[in-house]
Amino acid sequence: MDIIGQFPLFYFPEYGSAWMMGITGTIHILFSHTSVGAAMLFAFLAYKAYKEDRSNLYPYMKKYGMFLLIFSYVLGSITGPGIWYTATAASPRGISALIHNFVWVWATEWVFFVYEVIGVFVLVYFMDKIDKKTHLKLTFSFALASVGTLALIIGIISFMMWPGTEAYYATGSASDAFFGINTFPHMFLRIGFMIMLSGVIGMVISSAMKKENLELSKELTKKMGYVSMLGGFVVIFFFMWYMGTLPDNAHAVFNVTKDEVIKDRIILTGIFSVYFLVAILRPQFISTPLASLMIVVILLGGLWPGEKLRESMRKPYVAGQYIYSNQIVSRDVPGKGIKSELPIIAQKGLLQVNPFVPENLKVITEENKLEAGKLLTRMSCSNCHSLEKTGKYRPLKDRLQGMDKDAIKATLYAMGEGAFPYMPTLKLPEEEYDAIAAYIVSLKY
Amino acid sequence: MDASVLMALRDPGGVPFYPVVFQGLYILTWALHIAFVLLSLGAMGLSIYGTFKQKSDPIWKVMNPHLIQTGKISISILIVLGVAPLLFTQVIYDPNWYVANTLSGMWVFIFIYTLILGYIMYYWYYYANKKHEGSGKLVGTVSFAILVFAGILMHSFAVTSIMPNDWMNMYAPNGVVDNSGWTMNVKVVRLIFMVSLAIPVVGIFLQNYSRFLSTRPDFSEEFIDYTAKLGTKLGIFGLIVSAIAFVLWMLQIGYLINPLSIAIVIGVVVLLYMIYKNNNSYITTGVLVVVALLISGMRELIRFDIMSKLGYSIYDYPVNLEIPSIVMFLLTFLVLGGVGVAWLLTMAWKVGKNQGIFDGSKDVAVTKLGNYTLAIMVLWMIVYFGWGMTILFMNIL
Repeated sequence: MDIIGQFPLFYFPEYGSAWMMGITGTIHILFSHTSVGAAMLFAFLAYKAYKEDRSNLYPYMKKYGMFLLIFSYVLGSITGPGIWYTATAASPRGISALIHNFVWVWATEWVFFVYEVIGVFVLVYFMDKIDKKTHLKLTFSFALASVGTLALIIGIISFMMWPGTEAYYATGSASDAFFGINTFPHMFLRIGFMIMLSGVIGMVISSAMKKENLELSKELTKKMGYVSMLGGFVVIFFFMWYMGTLPDNAHAVFNVTKDEVIKDRIILTGIFSVYFLVAILRPQFISTPLASLMIVVILLGGLWPGEKLRESMRKPYVAGQYIYSNQIVSRDVPGKGIKSELPIIAQKGLLQVNPFVPENLKVITEENKLEAGKLLTRMSCSNCHSLEKTGKYRPLKDRLQGMDKDAIKATLYAMGEGAFPYMPTLKLPEEEYDAIAAYIVSLKY
Repeated sequence: MDASVLMALRDPGGVPFYPVVFQGLYILTWALHIAFVLLSLGAMGLSIYGTFKQKSDPIWKVMNPHLIQTGKISISILIVLGVAPLLFTQVIYDPNWYVANTLSGMWVFIFIYTLILGYIMYYWYYYANKKHEGSGKLVGTVSFAILVFAGILMHSFAVTSIMPNDWMNMYAPNGVVDNSGWTMNVKVVRLIFMVSLAIPVVGIFLQNYSRFLSTRPDFSEEFIDYTAKLGTKLGIFGLIVSAIAFVLWMLQIGYLINPLSIAIVIGVVVLLYMIYKNNNSYITTGVLVVVALLISGMRELIRFDIMSKLGYSIYDYPVNLEIPSIVMFLLTFLVLGGVGVAWLLTMAWKVGKNQGIFDGSKDVAVTKLGNYTLAIMVLWMIVYFGWGMTILFMNIL
């Protein structure tokens, strides 16, 4: 029996299931980056407090710690597995590829997580209950563990973009998959962002301390300004380096919106540079509402479009440049014994090889053509495009509006020949092309 | 479901180590995860009862904030511990896990936000109760209900994953494909058994709590006695309820005479005796861990048998050995995890036993474990970068 390992399809109308993953992912990135950045900042403050015998810094750290605990660890620790869950529903074979390549890396990261979760409670709740030297050691170990989690996840998310070299395909080794040419630039780009974010969030707390202790509030806001400025600089520096390590298909997608992306980033850099300068030069002007607003600006203006761009630049792949977003293995990976599924699909058709297609749709007839076309369109396109007339997520309507059946088929044929670098080279039997085109025409875009 | 389909649903890249190891790790880490699920449920549930007594009763006045805190920390720990079995199940039972997740895609999404909402509300409950004794009854109850619902969803994913013969009918009933992701399956008796275990777990916790604080002069004898007795009552009552539910579950699926279920029944009887006697609750906890491992093993046996009957054996999964990353895991788990967590727990134990500020710098064990942890972490980072740079240079030069 010629079947491939495709799973039932989960489809969320209007938006698509990948969109759900995007929301959870963006929230997680905010919290996880905050938590690692805050852990580093916490260590820095603890060091200063201990070395300079500044007991007035401890209440700030306690407040900061509580905020860190609630804000980042609670939500970060839920949304982390949350990405995994929603990714599993939206892109099961993509996540499976990551799991089966990197299970031990993830398991190692889990050891750090366990340390972090116990550590964060010990760190915050024991601040007044243990001596300062032991507490300082705790903060250092906590910061190192937090950076450890980044060091472990970064190779996996870099692999999602591409393995970075050809070595992985030949050896199938997790080391070759993990340490690609974009792993380290990507890592330091994120470290920069974490440092910046820790400063931005630190300002929420320091500005809230004005009433209790104006001088300390000003001093800490100023410090946070420097920290954020340093982080921002690291982000820009490594972003440029990172972009240079991406594959051609990523640049093909990037070029579509390049001017707009660059313009937006320049505006954001300008806004935040001014904000950090104000924090350094006029710390009393930074208020808690303003500091909170800036977090929202980062979330909506920086993270959400940034993550959407990163996801787009991976297209047509979802992991390692061998699995397409529509869950089809698109190339051989000899090192793992993986075979491309494109030839068997071209020969037999998606309906025949997918084990979850019901018997009544396996063979296309005049009676079931539209129903089969609907299922085929969902299986082939819905991971990246919403199909409805009113769809919100890269809607097919915008791409195929006004086309008749022949024009749609011509587009599908071109795609089957690999005409678009950011689309899967998915060749199907004639009757499946026909059913998809018939269904799309019936939607009357 | 046909064996050839189940085989095809496996990851084409194979597994990176021998499946039996993943199976063992799954059983171990699920037991740890469920222990904290049960502790959090038990502590939360009991604390809500406590909010009604907290104002008037001096014992509950002290105990209830501790119960709320225990619930709060346990939720964090259960989440992090839950990641491990989730990881290992996906390696060897990927067909089951991915089918269940795609069939229940909407519930998967809802699960995450249910958990977030429930946990945020729990913090609200914690702060409300901290501000005014006895406060937060409503918000605590709602939070508890939401978190229980999250547990039911998790139960549904697990149940769906072991119903391969029904998958096709869930996905395309009468040949009509349903992509909505609203599949939900609940096995009531199994669920009641799992949830009911929260009662004996919180009972044993209270016995430990009482024992731990009995050396502290700032806790009265009356307090120590009351908490121990409450623990015994809850432990015995809860275990009887759980035992009945377990027998019903086993009868339902035809596993009552299985050696593993008999071992669990024996374990429960031993636990009942130990809880009743309360000679040393720390040893009782050790036996509880063994019983939790047996229950975890029972779940795995049920799944293994269902899949074996369909011709799917995890032991036939193609293996592509991946040595460097398992070495990294084992060394990190045993050395860094072992020493680091030992340090944190030693410190927590000593701080809890101590009145006032605990000077860790004068404690040999705490100082040594702390220094070792830091040194191991620095060494880990050096090895990581050295390893990465070596691989990178080899592949690009």
